[in-house]
Amino acid sequence: MPAPDRSVDSFKYLSPASRAISESMIARAPREPVPWTPLSRPLSASTVSLVSTAGISMKGDPPFDAEGERENPWWGDPSYRIIPREATEADIDVSHLHIETAHIYEDLDVALPLRRLGELEREGFIGRAAPSHYSFMGYLLDPTEFLEVTVPAIIERMRRERVDVAVFVPV
Amino acid sequence: MIPALTAAWGAPRVAGIEFPFGRPLGQPHDAGTQRAVLRATLEALRGVEEAGTIVHLPFEWAELADRVQWHPKEPAPIARLLRRDPAAFKRLVEGELPSEASRRR
Repeated sequence: MPAPDRSVDSFKYLSPASRAISESMIARAPREPVPWTPLSRPLSASTVSLVSTAGISMKGDPPFDAEGERENPWWGDPSYRIIPREATEADIDVSHLHIETAHIYEDLDVALPLRRLGELEREGFIGRAAPSHYSFMGYLLDPTEFLEVTVPAIIERMRRERVDVAVFVPV
Repeated sequence: MIPALTAAWGAPRVAGIEFPFGRPLGQPHDAGTQRAVLRATLEALRGVEEAGTIVHLPFEWAELADRVQWHPKEPAPIARLLRRDPAAFKRLVEGELPSEASRRR
């Protein structure tokens, strides 16, 4: 049941060790102004694209490099994959070594809600779901390559598809 | 899914939810909750006018936190490594990354 006016506990499911690492990352975040982009048009006229950190790839595309991470646990695959809007759990693989992935194989919408987005499009709540959605693998202690190579490539494709709203869906 | 971390690192608008890792939209096949969460997330876009704001979504996970199965069956490689190497854990918490973090091998 919804309980209004409650604060989400960011650390509810974390072990003390993982919490210590997360709090340290929060303490070390740069104190810079965040660029602000106002909504360019109403949601009912906006094109929406989803970005999942679950390490989802289409069958037929190479999966994320989990073996590389097993060999070198400090490293995470910084690449991305395109997930077309019609994709379902029958079409995908999930390569993320930090979560139970069985729920995503059972129902892709638990992490990349493409069917739910399609429903909001049919209701007219959003203008349209973009043709392309995206996934990367969220365990990246050093995000340099991700920021320099992956993010610009995703942005370029989003611009080509005239995306107004990017919904980032961490897992 | 650590909204405080996402906001600290510069996401302009954050919709926080207290759901377990791996299932940010809800349980498999619970289309009603999934749709409500996605809709509430998109609605947060309209309400927020200042970068760094966290909108706390009012959804409750039905299971008790200590019953939730979100960990992978095989522990993540870094979790095993840090358990074996307390000095590496300490350095990581202090913000020090080894050069291995920057390349596959």
